Amino acid sequence: MANTENHADQNMASRAASGGVLLLAGLVMLFFAWGYPTGTLNQMGAGFIPQAIAILISGLAVAIIVIDLKAPEPERAGPVHWRGLIFISAAVIIFAVLVDVAGLVPSMFLAVAVSMFADHQARPVPVLIYTLLATFFGWLLFLVGLELPIPAFWR
Amino acid sequence: MLDQFLLGLSVVLQPDVLIYAFFGVFIGQLIGVLPGVGAITAISLLLPVTFYLDATTSMILLAGIYYGSQYGGSIASILLNLPGTPSSVVTCLEGYPLAQSNRAGLALFVAAFSSFLGGMVGVSILVLAAIPMTVIALKFGAPEYAMLVILGLLAASMIGTGSQIRSFAMVALGIALGLVGADATTGYYRFVAMPELADGISLVSLAMGLFGVSEVIRNASQRAAVDAPALSIRMRDVFPTRAQARSLVFPIMRGSSIGSFFGALPGTGAAIASFMAYAVERRFSGTPAKFGKGHLPGLAAPESANNAASQTGFIPTLTLGVPGDAVMALIIGALILNGIIPGPRLMVDQPELFWGVIASFFVGNIILLMINIPLIKLWVLLLRIPYQKLYPVIVVMICVGVYSHRTSVTDVILTLVFGILGYVMKNYRFEPAPVLLGFVLGPLLEDNFRRTMLLYGGDFTIFLTRPISAVLVTCSGVLIVIGIWSSLNARRIAARS
Repeated sequence: MANTENHADQNMASRAASGGVLLLAGLVMLFFAWGYPTGTLNQMGAGFIPQAIAILISGLAVAIIVIDLKAPEPERAGPVHWRGLIFISAAVIIFAVLVDVAGLVPSMFLAVAVSMFADHQARPVPVLIYTLLATFFGWLLFLVGLELPIPAFWR
Repeated sequence: MLDQFLLGLSVVLQPDVLIYAFFGVFIGQLIGVLPGVGAITAISLLLPVTFYLDATTSMILLAGIYYGSQYGGSIASILLNLPGTPSSVVTCLEGYPLAQSNRAGLALFVAAFSSFLGGMVGVSILVLAAIPMTVIALKFGAPEYAMLVILGLLAASMIGTGSQIRSFAMVALGIALGLVGADATTGYYRFVAMPELADGISLVSLAMGLFGVSEVIRNASQRAAVDAPALSIRMRDVFPTRAQARSLVFPIMRGSSIGSFFGALPGTGAAIASFMAYAVERRFSGTPAKFGKGHLPGLAAPESANNAASQTGFIPTLTLGVPGDAVMALIIGALILNGIIPGPRLMVDQPELFWGVIASFFVGNIILLMINIPLIKLWVLLLRIPYQKLYPVIVVMICVGVYSHRTSVTDVILTLVFGILGYVMKNYRFEPAPVLLGFVLGPLLEDNFRRTMLLYGGDFTIFLTRPISAVLVTCSGVLIVIGIWSSLNARRIAARS
């Protein structure tokens, strides 16, 4: 029992974390929606539904916090896949930044190459071979096959 | 009814439509087999492709992926004990023991054939229900629509997996995301943090982020030690004996009925249907001890149930325009992006589309049955593809797909934001599917609610005085009571143990 008591304090914050973030989202939404015209019931303005939904989200978030705090056993959040998070995010950002400037082929090449390192067993040579192949087939599919109106290389 | 169905068949049997029906079910079966890629991810990935197709072929393609994946899901369940789709979890229970005792061929055949029969029952019920449902739906005014959407959203959060209140909060979050952009009635800009958001958040970004990027992040470095068995299936081992076939007639009939019922209900779907069918089969079996050890009826019933459900799920989607689950919401979204407003007018205004899509289910199920067993070697080969060779391609398809949709870099970044959101959410036991449902249904709800209030002078009692609306309100009330009661009950049980 004493053990549970010790963990109680540090658990409090982490238990309420997910509901807390949701509550924050609801309140931020309410803050912005407050300025929108509410109108009347028979002539609703653009702000009526946003305000209602923001209040609903905040209310549900409070309920979730209460439930999570009262739960007999704290349900642990899953492990964070940092590698996947970092490399996949980097791949998408690289694609987004490059596609307008450098064209489709280089941005696809880098996106594939970077995303492959989300797998901790990735080795440079197989990655290079795979990336070259994937970029070639991507070019074939998107530009030759589907004829997407995106330039292949920088203009 | 037969006339309309034949009209539909004449649409599907045009070669250029038929090829998309084939592509749809083929891709569906393929992604059902592939570990780590589900129907909702595949449909999100192909959403941008549908902008180059007309509405009918888009619908046929996307729907084919959905019900095709139900067939494919059973293959990984039987051979590897890995459910390819949520609805084939129970398939593992009987299918895998069969495969281990060298009867994989038989198990695959029974699964495919039960799926086919279940699918056919589902399509038949869809055909029979379409006209009566549309007749009812045409009587719907704004109050009925508003209440129907509320019922659908409540059902999706009360019945689905996981905590009800969390699902409901995610529905609300989805509605909130759907509010971004210009207000449809007054043109007032809401939550437009940057000019690119003036047209609202794109469904493509949201779907690909929540279901594509987040899954890639989660699975990229995970290695399932998968060893696909070297299969040598001889054709004569595949077919059940006469006695076995006879023992499957009633399980398949029960499974199809259960599946058809749960598929048509909003909020429930193929996964719940297959669980129910298995439980019922076990309860009514004279030999419950045989279950779990490769009992064929326990394989046939849930397989027919999930396929029947995936067909009858189109009843509310096509006749009312109100999707029952996230996959249906995506299909409805594709229709809206194609400039077609789903709802009861669909059957009246676009009979070729409406009946063509329904007839494509009929044709698609036949194609699936034909490609299932003969191509089994191909599916087994696909099972050996590690996820690590798949996901970089998925990442690029997401990037290119989102970018090409509106030629917008902002959309690509937003997709990543939603991907991270979806990933974090799921880590904290918030399901992403209700977000999508809320996003698609939110605008429909707001529009009809505001119109009701305008038409009836802000009088809330209108929802109770109109009969159909009153029924829908009652159903919603019952759902809320059941939801609260069952969650309190669950907590009491948890507290006691």
